[in-house]
Amino acid sequence: MLRVMSRRGDDRVTWDGQKVQAGDPEAMAAVREAERIFAQERAKGATAFRVEPGKPAQRIEQFDHTAEQIVIVPRVVGG
Amino acid sequence: MSFITQVLTALGWIVVALAVLPMLWLLFQPYLKGWSRAERRAADLLRDALTPEQFRQLVWRGYLEVPSPTEPQRVYRVPRTRGYIQVIENGRAVMRLCVQPVECLPDADLVVLHKLMIEANEEHYLQKANKYVCLD
Repeated sequence: MLRVMSRRGDDRVTWDGQKVQAGDPEAMAAVREAERIFAQERAKGATAFRVEPGKPAQRIEQFDHTAEQIVIVPRVVGG
Repeated sequence: MSFITQVLTALGWIVVALAVLPMLWLLFQPYLKGWSRAERRAADLLRDALTPEQFRQLVWRGYLEVPSPTEPQRVYRVPRTRGYIQVIENGRAVMRLCVQPVECLPDADLVVLHKLMIEANEEHYLQKANKYVCLD
């Protein structure tokens, strides 16, 4: 799942990993859409993290469709 | 009661209502805000990102403690609502940080943002933060 933080809470794109492996067109389209959003947000300066329960978050530079959850946070500045 | 008296009474009540409504809005806004779709979605993400212990700490103490991945004696205290992040070293507050996203986010998302940045991107986080040293 890809979650992009925004003023609306978070926008989500989900896909089924097993269906992606099986080459399901709908699941592949969801992955492509998630990849596009990932690149678009990164270009805006956002940071992406791979988040797994019970583990520290890990910053990622490349989209990984095998990640259980990717959270994208907007660029931060000193307040 | 004459018609004019009735009209004046109605107008009087309208004026009272107009005066009271903004106050009621200010009073109940935080509770109503908690029910907004954005806040609900942010709360979902917060629950997913925190362990049950961390979530309890946030609810009961009003802050989340995020240990520094690089300095064992350092802990970042992230408040549940908007505010400064306290840096605690050896049990003593040494600094306050002010870091905010360029886009307005629900409060629950802000907690997750700070946690992720500290855990996975501490150096960048500290670079971006405005720092206020705590003096005894």
